Amino acid sequence: MTAPHPPGWATRTFVYGVSGWVTLLTYLFMLAPIVVLVAFAFNEGKSSVVWTGFSLDWFGKVWSNRHIARALNVSLIVAGASAAIATAIGALAAVAITRRQFPGRDLLGAALAAPLVLPEIVLAVALLVFMSFAGVTLGYTTMVIGHVLVSIPFATLIVRAAASSLDPRLENAAADLGANEWQTFRMVTLPQLMPAILTAFLLSATLSFDNLVMSTFTSGVGTTTLPLRIYSMLKLGITPEINALGAMMVAANVAILLLVMGRYLPLMLNSNRR
Amino acid sequence: MSDPSDPAVAVELRGVAKRFGSFTAVDHLDLAIRAGEFFTLLGASGCGKTTTLRLIAGFELPTEGHVLLGGRDVSEVPAFQRPVHTVFQNYALFPHLSVLDNVAFPLRVRRLSRAEQRARAMAALEMVQLQGLADRKPSQLSGGQQQRAALARALVNEPQVLLLDEPLGALDLKLRKEMQLELKAMQRRLGITFVFVTHDQEEALTMSDRIALMQGGRIVQLDTPTGLYDAPQSLYAAQFIGETNLIAGRVVSSGAAGTVVETLGRRMTLPPSAVAAGDAVTLAIRPERLRRGGGTDAPEGRLEELDFIGTDLRLVYRMADGSRLVLRQQNDGGPMPTPGEAARIAFSPRDLRLFPTDPERTPQ
Repeated sequence: MTAPHPPGWATRTFVYGVSGWVTLLTYLFMLAPIVVLVAFAFNEGKSSVVWTGFSLDWFGKVWSNRHIARALNVSLIVAGASAAIATAIGALAAVAITRRQFPGRDLLGAALAAPLVLPEIVLAVALLVFMSFAGVTLGYTTMVIGHVLVSIPFATLIVRAAASSLDPRLENAAADLGANEWQTFRMVTLPQLMPAILTAFLLSATLSFDNLVMSTFTSGVGTTTLPLRIYSMLKLGITPEINALGAMMVAANVAILLLVMGRYLPLMLNSNRR
Repeated sequence: MSDPSDPAVAVELRGVAKRFGSFTAVDHLDLAIRAGEFFTLLGASGCGKTTTLRLIAGFELPTEGHVLLGGRDVSEVPAFQRPVHTVFQNYALFPHLSVLDNVAFPLRVRRLSRAEQRARAMAALEMVQLQGLADRKPSQLSGGQQQRAALARALVNEPQVLLLDEPLGALDLKLRKEMQLELKAMQRRLGITFVFVTHDQEEALTMSDRIALMQGGRIVQLDTPTGLYDAPQSLYAAQFIGETNLIAGRVVSSGAAGTVVETLGRRMTLPPSAVAAGDAVTLAIRPERLRRGGGTDAPEGRLEELDFIGTDLRLVYRMADGSRLVLRQQNDGGPMPTPGEAARIAFSPRDLRLFPTDPERTPQ
């Protein structure tokens, strides 16, 4: 005789048991390739599949590869410039949308979020066609414009979330204490949005740094970014050199992520309390 | 506006109205607040008291009429250029600035030197006894401390007029009582005009030099605390301020010699009043003006409820004619009455206030 199970036992067991396994498998599926990629960066041989021994040579090779150094330089320039522009536009638009009443406010909000739902390749093609129509030579300018387009919705959304949770009474208080609009913005609104603005900048920079589709369509001669370089290296066969580069990029991205989460997220939560 | 303005008037509202769409928040308000006065705008929520304050601060511009500060018409002057500061209900301290930087904010806006900013902000913090917490963030302060910081910030610039929007609303009772006394003492010492908004009539009575009781965007009565409490000019005022017994009565005769009213089965003579014989009237009397025990001419009642308050006893009597009377007496250590006990209730006719009966406010 088995003891009768309490009602709902089967459902509960199924839901908790299965959902636990699904979660585990999902993480495994997502992370395993990255783990393998990073592991083979330390492989001694020339294969990315067969392990022959431990070595740090491939990192040294990446470090001394001029093409990669140049691509990294391009990537950093484009990421920095596009993140700065996207964050500036996004932050100002976010403040305007949440704090001011003006005609077409909702339309502007929707327009800024639109690139989020449009396929990036459509945006990229449209930009390419427009640029060649306008007679602009492909290069840094076109690539930065493209990356700004990709980053703006994210930058706007992040700053908008922070701006909408600001207490409007604080701006009233600033005015009451004698601050004009500019002083109120500079001394009260902006400092409170700073964590969100920094987060938006770092996210925009990361998006730009990893971008492949937009870069493919907008890069010109001499402006090959790191992802473009990696892609062309792949055509010549996968060597642990790519693994080493990938491992370094993973490390850089994780570092930025930790920086954002560890440093600015608590700050953001703190300033938005009350 | 050709008449010379009186230097003794700090704030003046002339025919001020404020409408939000079809809703009239403030309705043709005329008001002169004297310099150095502790003035209170009192009323239930939605009576227009906060809107009046916001009109003075400049957060709202009047739909009609003029706002004058120190004799100058500021109706069109934006908030940041008006010589008034506000203590907000939620304190509105800047969360990203330290307490010291919050207090120094009005000085920083005026571009005073760093040294002067610091010296004056520290002096203001000392005034509210927060000098030890200057480097804290507002979120690290208790409610009472935040309140003090907000006060220091509003006073550091020495404004002509300080506006206070229910500043004690979020504090617990004990702290509230302390802050009431402290605010009042501070106002006396600094000689700054305080315009205080509250819905708490007790607070208004304790602190104010004069009180404007508001209802529906208008001033119902503008008076001293004693005037408002002892001589309410309307049934609304009588009911809003303190506890009041309302008794139904009928006018027997009315003339220059006085008004004779029949109530609680007795006839009594009150001062002359604009009522006619036969009118139904409502009589108001304060619970503490009623006494237990009295001659055979005093109306009789039976004790229904007894509340022991500590310093006071609150006794509820059902009178012979069915009306209900609340009586307050000091807990003087005498024998405690027991419910069901009969007693004669005595009072002096001059403590009765007579009002025409308002169909919306029928006495029980």
